[in-house]
Amino acid sequence: MIRKSVALVILAILGLLVMGGLAELPLPAERMSESVTSRHILSEGVSDTGAVNLVTAVLFDYRGFDTLGEATVIFAAAAGVVLLFFRHDLPTSRLGLSSLAKRSIMVLAPFVFVTGLYIVMFGHVTPGGGFQGGVVWATLTILLCIVYGTAFEWRFINTRTKTLLESLGAIAFILLGLVGIYRGDFFLSNIAAGFRAGVPGELTSGGAIPLLNLAIGLKVAAGLALIFYNMVKKDVG
Amino acid sequence: MWGEIVDFAYWVVVGLFLIGFFGVLTDTNLIKIAIGLNIMEASLLLLLVRLAFSPGDSPPIVSEGILNYADPVPQALTLTAIVIGASTTALLLSFIIKTYKYYGSVDLKEIRRMER
Repeated sequence: MIRKSVALVILAILGLLVMGGLAELPLPAERMSESVTSRHILSEGVSDTGAVNLVTAVLFDYRGFDTLGEATVIFAAAAGVVLLFFRHDLPTSRLGLSSLAKRSIMVLAPFVFVTGLYIVMFGHVTPGGGFQGGVVWATLTILLCIVYGTAFEWRFINTRTKTLLESLGAIAFILLGLVGIYRGDFFLSNIAAGFRAGVPGELTSGGAIPLLNLAIGLKVAAGLALIFYNMVKKDVG
Repeated sequence: MWGEIVDFAYWVVVGLFLIGFFGVLTDTNLIKIAIGLNIMEASLLLLLVRLAFSPGDSPPIVSEGILNYADPVPQALTLTAIVIGASTTALLLSFIIKTYKYYGSVDLKEIRRMER
């Protein structure tokens, strides 16, 4: 009880301080008119990168190197989870749900896959991108894991495949970045390294951005599927 | 100190942050502490999105006939923060699973009693 009241007092003081700080923040419109970066991206973003979706332009062109770091964080998390649960690579359930659920998931699965592919490949035109589409792909493996039991996932989409896909995504991302250096520009430079900008708004626009999205999508899907599978599998130790 | 207007979204941000922090400070259940941390994180994401947006702005996807766009830079940062939050939560939860397997409980009080 004392603990809770002390916590409440601390939180009240903290809340007052934070509210005071937030009240002093500039309004978004004011801040944007002073920010050189935001104004440049809004006015020149499409001609710089060829991508209509400016958030994707920031993620995969202007700050592509940060995105590589972000993907490394997912890799580190997946590696940590695998390390915590390793040695017990055994399926935990073979039965799964009823045959009705199994039939309907097989009807549903291609659509889920295509939705994920759409979100990944149109990341530079519509809201979406590698991270979001990769999560959709990961939910596909989670659905299969729940409906068919983890034995199915163990047999058909085993850990080796997922590791391979994740490494493939990372290597593809780095190779696409190295193309920039090979062409005499910076690491992960896009239009300047000779990738075609295309017509903004079309699937083939944006230079290397769709390819980078695909690489990140593979990496995120494989990483999240690895994390989920390692959490639910049977721990015999 | 208070400025003229404190936006409604800011109240939600501070409220969520304090709720999450209260959970982290007072609860003894490890799962609930993880939930509290996630609520705090959600409030910060809301703050970032709010900072990028003023009323009437369109999403930063360029199309004809739209003049005001929301700022894309904080939104890209938000995406980064979501991804990193998900990764750390996954690692946190797997540590909690390991703790449960070792002690048979996720309650800090019980774990402390067992340690004695």
